[in-house]
Amino acid sequence: MSTRPTRRAVLATGLAATASSLLSGCAMGGVGGGGRAPEIDGKADDKGGKVSGRITVWSWDVAAKAMKRLAGDFEKRHPGTTVDVVDIGYDNAYDKITIGLRGGTGLADVLTVEGDHMPRYIGNFPGGFYDLMSLGGRYGGDFERAAWHTVTGPGGKLYALPWDIGPCALYYRTDHFRAAGVDPRSLLTWDDYVKAGIRIKKATGHKLIIQDPTDPGILPMLLQQQGQYYFEGGRVAVDTPAAVKALTLMKTLSDEGLVAYEKGWDGLVTGTKEGKAATTPTAAWWTGTLTSEMPELKGRFEVVPLPGFTADGIRTSNIGGSTLAVPAQSKNPRLAWAFIEFLLTGKNNQVSMLGREGLFPAYLPALDDPYLSERQDYFGGQRTLDVFARLARNIPPVEYDKDDAKATDIMISAVTGVMLHGRDPRRALGSAAGQLARATGRKRVA
Amino acid sequence: MAAPTAPTALDRGPAPVRKPSAARGRRRRPRLAAWIFAGPAAALFALFFAYPLGASLLQSFTSEDAGTTRWVGLDQYQRMFDDPAFLESLFNTGVILAVQVPVMIGLGLALAVLLNQSWLRFRGTWRAVYFLPAVTTLVAYAVVFQVLLKTDGGLVNQILGAIGVGPVDWLNSPTWARVSLIVSLTWRWTGYNAVILLAGLQAIGKEQYEAASIDGAGTLTTYTRVILPQLRPVVLFCVITSTIGTLQLFDENYVLTRGGPDDATLTPVVYLYKVGFQQLDFGYAAAIAWVVVALIAAISALQYLAFGRERRR
Repeated sequence: MSTRPTRRAVLATGLAATASSLLSGCAMGGVGGGGRAPEIDGKADDKGGKVSGRITVWSWDVAAKAMKRLAGDFEKRHPGTTVDVVDIGYDNAYDKITIGLRGGTGLADVLTVEGDHMPRYIGNFPGGFYDLMSLGGRYGGDFERAAWHTVTGPGGKLYALPWDIGPCALYYRTDHFRAAGVDPRSLLTWDDYVKAGIRIKKATGHKLIIQDPTDPGILPMLLQQQGQYYFEGGRVAVDTPAAVKALTLMKTLSDEGLVAYEKGWDGLVTGTKEGKAATTPTAAWWTGTLTSEMPELKGRFEVVPLPGFTADGIRTSNIGGSTLAVPAQSKNPRLAWAFIEFLLTGKNNQVSMLGREGLFPAYLPALDDPYLSERQDYFGGQRTLDVFARLARNIPPVEYDKDDAKATDIMISAVTGVMLHGRDPRRALGSAAGQLARATGRKRVA
Repeated sequence: MAAPTAPTALDRGPAPVRKPSAARGRRRRPRLAAWIFAGPAAALFALFFAYPLGASLLQSFTSEDAGTTRWVGLDQYQRMFDDPAFLESLFNTGVILAVQVPVMIGLGLALAVLLNQSWLRFRGTWRAVYFLPAVTTLVAYAVVFQVLLKTDGGLVNQILGAIGVGPVDWLNSPTWARVSLIVSLTWRWTGYNAVILLAGLQAIGKEQYEAASIDGAGTLTTYTRVILPQLRPVVLFCVITSTIGTLQLFDENYVLTRGGPDDATLTPVVYLYKVGFQQLDFGYAAAIAWVVVALIAAISALQYLAFGRERRR
């Protein structure tokens, strides 16, 4: 907590230290994001137009692994090109990208950006990326529509190409359900889910769900299931009836003692490993975590569609998933686009990335591949990928907004207020809406 | 006092080897030399300190929308008054200032007095041991505390369980998260302050203790009436640096709790980071930075006026 042990000029030293550490962080020179998105030279797309040179690609984790693996194939197909994939690590990724966009320099030629982060960048740095519409627009029909929605901006611009998506389903512990005599296929609505949770807890002592207390938890999933997110038509929508319904459900789960609180990703993984919760409502990519982090639990999990708010309601949502974009600073946008096109618009590469790295394709033709209907040993022989592939076509597109990060922060307070302190959902959401409206200078829907 | 005389000393110092030139030239040359020496530092200062400082002040009066910057006057500053998250972060800082800083300085003082005793063996080792936490990597220490304070299977809860108290949700309940943060800060910085206070204690001569004992003062009286008053400037230094540190608190709570749960451990700088780098609201972040700077200046000045008077005698 202390700063510098210089005895003289305590005040001056302290101030200098504060000022330099605080202010330099917030005063980054010119605005790199202003203006309009440039277009990549149309000729790049002519089959005759040869690409050459070198590009750098930023990514992390399995996504970086997948690109490193396939970059070699690309280089072979396009002699004279070099694709340099750099794993920048998830923890720093967005700080790096934000600073690069803000400062107008220092970014790679291809950036991995998660789908729900994209609208934030488009909204704040509309000139920060190349418009790919003239090159990639024709693929529009091939991509899952909710993901396509996140990469398109006002005026028919295409800021990125969707890569993977995270269709959601309910993972459940077969042993816990069996012990409590609950049939997972009978969970048609969230009410059924709560009732099943109470029975499971009584019979086995296990809770129903793990939640991060510093995170909005399943709220975004429940909102999307009802076709909305934090804003509607640019207005604050966090206190709509749908939102009240979602948060009331979360309060019920908490009141019934069905929630185990674990902080962060590691908490979720270890908690699941220890069998703390009988279910995990989450995305397709969780299969990769299960198989790689808890092989000893083979045969204990299966998936069913999410419960709905009504028995015939939407039974899925999307969590996560990413896109690839070309920042306006790229010196070799033609090669950058060629690499993205190679990686994402072919069935073979997409299926291989699903099989090897667990990246669930947003590219719909890949979902028809026979690989998806194979039985999965880990899931007791269930055709798990097929469940997700069918759900993926029904993900409701929602409106993501440049102020979603602000909304998320405010909603975390509302969620913890309701779940940890027993506040009334309607009132908590009402005050959250007021706060969000003030912070963003927008009107409220309700 | 020393600074203004230095150039003249240089001026008149060793006689120039070369033939002395006109008076004007002679006056100018040392100035040039001074600039050559000070230049790099001044340039770095202007580039990395003065420029960002000015730029962030300007930025705090602006707002950005879709890449275009607008002048909004004091709007960003006004926002803070009814921003519950910012107010909560100030409240949390107040709690740490009111609870953690006095406890830590008190402990540090007791530790310093103990380490200063002539009967204590291996004094150097003890000092190193108490100072060690201050040199550990922040992340390593936060991770260790995370492991210690885990709700299930954490060492602290295991020990509590053994004596039949039971498990405390250290990092996931707002109140206990605050307690955890305060405990971890105290662990990390007490030894650091103790070492500084110890240096102050050692500057006090033996004769002071002897004089006090000749006057018939007991140990307690000696410390409260003679030694501690002389230690005042050092204590003040510790209090001010700790206050500044508290107002700048970022790493500990960012790694330990991310400012949560329910904003219970949110500090202005963690909030500033969230607003600037996650919400991309740079104007507001710059305004928060300036309010933090103003707060630090004001509180430090107050402490200096309230407790530093003795030094001016």
